[in-house]
Amino acid sequence: MKVSFPYMGQVVAYKKLLESFGHEIIMPDKPTQRTFDLGVLNSPEFICYPFKVMMGTYIEACEKGADVIVSSGGSGPCRAGMYCEVHRRVLQKLGYQTEVIIFDSPFKNPKRFLKQILSLKNKTPIFKVLKSVRYALKMIAMLDKIDAEINILRAHEVKKGSFDKCKEDIIELFDKTSSLKTLKAAYREALKMLNSVPVNPVNEKERLRFGIVGEIFVIMESATNMEIEKRLNALGVEVSNVQSISEWVKHNTIGRLFKKSESWKAFDEGSAYKRCACGGHDKENTGWIMEFAKRGFDGVIHLMPFGCLPELITRSMIPQMTADLDIPILSMSIDEQNAEANTQTRIEAFVDLCKSKKQTGVNAQITADKSIKTAVHEKTGV
Amino acid sequence: MKIGIPRALLYYYYYPFWKVLFERLGCEVIVSDETNSKIISEGSKVSVSEICVPIKIFNGHVLNLEKKNPDYIFVPQFHKVDKEWYCPKFLGIPELVQYSIDNLHTPLLVLDYQTKTDMIDSLSVHLPLCEKLNVTKKQLKEALKAGRESQLAFRVLCRQGYTIPEAYDLLLHGSKPPVHEKKEIKIALMGYVNNVYDNFVSMNTIKKLEEMGSNIVTFDMLDEKLIQKDKNAIKEPFWIFARKIYNATRYLVQTGQIDGMIHLTAFGCGPDSVIGKLMEIDCENAGIPFMTVRVDEHTGDNHITTRLEAFTDMIKIRKRKGVKA
Repeated sequence: MKVSFPYMGQVVAYKKLLESFGHEIIMPDKPTQRTFDLGVLNSPEFICYPFKVMMGTYIEACEKGADVIVSSGGSGPCRAGMYCEVHRRVLQKLGYQTEVIIFDSPFKNPKRFLKQILSLKNKTPIFKVLKSVRYALKMIAMLDKIDAEINILRAHEVKKGSFDKCKEDIIELFDKTSSLKTLKAAYREALKMLNSVPVNPVNEKERLRFGIVGEIFVIMESATNMEIEKRLNALGVEVSNVQSISEWVKHNTIGRLFKKSESWKAFDEGSAYKRCACGGHDKENTGWIMEFAKRGFDGVIHLMPFGCLPELITRSMIPQMTADLDIPILSMSIDEQNAEANTQTRIEAFVDLCKSKKQTGVNAQITADKSIKTAVHEKTGV
Repeated sequence: MKIGIPRALLYYYYYPFWKVLFERLGCEVIVSDETNSKIISEGSKVSVSEICVPIKIFNGHVLNLEKKNPDYIFVPQFHKVDKEWYCPKFLGIPELVQYSIDNLHTPLLVLDYQTKTDMIDSLSVHLPLCEKLNVTKKQLKEALKAGRESQLAFRVLCRQGYTIPEAYDLLLHGSKPPVHEKKEIKIALMGYVNNVYDNFVSMNTIKKLEEMGSNIVTFDMLDEKLIQKDKNAIKEPFWIFARKIYNATRYLVQTGQIDGMIHLTAFGCGPDSVIGKLMEIDCENAGIPFMTVRVDEHTGDNHITTRLEAFTDMIKIRKRKGVKA
């Protein structure tokens, strides 16, 4: 079977996993303007942006002849759980025979879950499946760690683009591995490569650290958020992104009672502001903003797709949170209308603001609060 | 004690229940004014600009209620029915009110509705009332029972083909039942109760359609059993009211009793962006004319009138020519 999947997170690991089941992989390309255009053209007008990007990626995969597209599901109340149904119908309408396989929680409909696993594993013996899954998860965890490292180090790189080049080499290295043993060797090698990239020395007082919170797809997929991490790094800001696939897997598989993942801790912390979780990762994001304030970060960037249901609730609390926690927060909506210059200007202004707050030590709370309100209004022209 | 109920969101579905419940508990129930441009503009001013219009209206009604000096403003947090959800904004409504409106003097009365069925008379949900309103558990139980009866009576009226405002008038004010004559065509008006029955938002769509010679049918006029959860479906919308509307669409399309369908939706509505597309595809496959009317805080009802006229004219011509769906 020719299998494809949405472009999000560590795609090389999904490729490795599905390859081990003997499938041919249609590798999705990083979304381009064409992907966005195709997606927007074939999606309901008011659906959130991740749907449109995925729609575009799916159509491109269908054009390349994919038989099956594999993705994850959901059970509400966020719209992401309904994506598959609409994706499927639109592809059908466009005349593609491609099947969309969605992995929902195994507890909801165990029979279907099992059937899907069986159809996908393609007669691979079960122990080999488990082995491959373990290998893929390990690879995702390693690559996520490397990414987190790069998001900090890249802020101080001597030669522009040296870390991006290094990341490309690392991906290539990982792509060549085939077992857990070679993977571990590759990881050691990758860390060496990272350490050998020259960085400028940095004065502790001048370090600016930002957290990124928001809707999982737009904060993880760099083509969609116009490479916000890279942009911030270029302005000399170290970035921590709260979402990664490994964190998502931990969050969804390891019960919160046994071993609390970071995001479950943030979830509990969020109770200070929210009565209940309203879908997506809204409560985690609330908790993360509090956590970043506690850790002494200099600013938080909150990203969401335009009209995102759960994150709009977070956004309405941001003026209050920024006042309570004394941390500047910039909330931006992302959709197909976004322009590069607009994003760049807003980020630059926000970084300057946080920098001066740090240097002067002035309580910039009121200014920050205002900047959000004007920022929100500026977008809609209200 | 005075309880203020905002005339927004699920006021248009559960008011008979709440009115009887609070009155039995010895409270006076006051409802905010009917939606007008002042309420909408005040609500829009305090709310996040990107949010959908029903939430802006809700905030506007809370502000309106505050001028009437109630002891509590009732903000029901609709959470879950069995395994189905409400829209995330219904879950976050207390936060949306609390953090959007600065200097709200009146305390909010928040009840977290997580029930087994869409009859919301569960005791555990309403227990916080005992303390807040100073009533005993026994009194609460009796009041809930009365509320349940009132809600059931209301639903019976809905199924007889009365619109929700007509049913409220009949049930709570004992007015004379209006007569619905059989008209030339029948159009399904699909949309959430808070959009369809708020005359300001829908710009009197129901009245206009009736004047244009059409009977209307909404999802709340159908029997619960016809639009209940379909266990065999691969994936249904997991929001309860979206599921009701989507299944009503499927039922009406399959039975072929309608001549056309209008989807009335608010700008930026999340669940509607999903089911809207599914409804459109279903109607297209069945050959039933389908139109989406999107409303927001901007008014100007001429364009609605024009679109409705064009739509009904087209259906009438189609019917006279004998085009089969």
